[in-house]
Amino acid sequence: MRRMQHSNGGPIDTSQLLKGVLDLAVLAVLAEQDSYGYDVLRRLRESGLDGIGDASVYGTLRRLYRAGDLKSYVVPSGEGPHRKYYALNNRGRTSLDQSAKTWGSFTKALDHLLNGRSTANAR
Amino acid sequence: MPDSKPANDVAGYADAVRAALASLPERERETLLEDLESHLAEVASESDSPLHERLGRPEAYAAELKLAYGAAADANETQRRSPIRERPMSLIHAVTGTRAYREVHAMLPELRPGWWILRAYLAVLFLAFLFRGQDNLRPIPNPFSSLGLFQILATVGAIVVSVRLGRRGLPDKRSWRVAAMGANAAIMVLALPVLVDMGTGSTYAYSGADTSGSYAPPVEASYYIPGVTNVYPYSADGKPLKGVLLYDQDGHPLVLDTGKGGVITNVPIGADGLPIPNAYPLDQRDQNGQTLLPPRVALPPVPTATPASTSPTPTPTP
Repeated sequence: MRRMQHSNGGPIDTSQLLKGVLDLAVLAVLAEQDSYGYDVLRRLRESGLDGIGDASVYGTLRRLYRAGDLKSYVVPSGEGPHRKYYALNNRGRTSLDQSAKTWGSFTKALDHLLNGRSTANAR
Repeated sequence: MPDSKPANDVAGYADAVRAALASLPERERETLLEDLESHLAEVASESDSPLHERLGRPEAYAAELKLAYGAAADANETQRRSPIRERPMSLIHAVTGTRAYREVHAMLPELRPGWWILRAYLAVLFLAFLFRGQDNLRPIPNPFSSLGLFQILATVGAIVVSVRLGRRGLPDKRSWRVAAMGANAAIMVLALPVLVDMGTGSTYAYSGADTSGSYAPPVEASYYIPGVTNVYPYSADGKPLKGVLLYDQDGHPLVLDTGKGGVITNVPIGADGLPIPNAYPLDQRDQNGQTLLPPRVALPPVPTATPASTSPTPTPTP
């Protein structure tokens, strides 16, 4: 916690925050529905995470796929090239569950910290 | 894509990204950039503004890619891969790292739908083989056979099922995945002997439609007479003869080219198990299994008292 405070001098850059949890966000989007690269990005942005770069999403998808958390299949699209859809496999679901737990306890701890601070020494 | 401009844009941008990632190991880079073009095309199709306006400079895009993919990837690898798998994996990578493998591998997904259809067909073919009874297996679906409609429906049904299974992808569960792969392999292995058997069924029936030229009766020096697909011998008094063996001037059996479309010829088998291809008239059937009827012939008036040796009367000679 302490280290995090120091690494960020100014106001928190959301894109920096997102980097740490992009895996989780992408897995969550895919858990909802199978999806292809650009659609994942669109859905992340629709859900409010608009600081995410296209390359980050694409890179994350490829990495998760290579790591064995995702399976992929190709679907011909009406116009344009085939779309590679990604979907969670069992390992991906497990890793989503674990990450979600970690994220949950992390945010809880941070909420707790922030709430404690705001009530203790409210400016 | 509506016109070539976005396509050029995509290709140019992708090339620039590739160039910017030249420092990555080639295999790594190709795994990462496998779908870059189609992905960029998707992005490009969303709007008319050029890619570098929407995604930033290709170099920056590449850096972001590398960060999202590369940096964390190493940590993942070491954490996930048990040391006992390290050696075989590195051997596998030595093969999968070659350019030839990558090119073939990149092509395989394109061929997948083809395999889905082929395996469905092979499965039906194998079933047809199992239930063929006494008949010889002919290429299916055979619209002229009594089972034709059923075969067509079975084939169509199997293709639908196979494609649906194929599009769903391999199952997650390891045991199911192994079963699915095994089933695919089994279809291939089982169908192979059926395909081999098809042309040379044990009763030597052969369909002229698809084996013309390729079927050679196991008899030495056979002669084909162009245009003649069957011979109907008659005795001098006008009676149709059966099982007449014909030989040429050298004593070779006279064999006809029965390669007329849709005709199936059943050749009798001798006591020695060899086919007798020169016993006339040949037993020929159409695709429905109906025996072809002998033609109407106008028999010449034969002098009944003294059979002249010069007359062209067909005489059965053994």
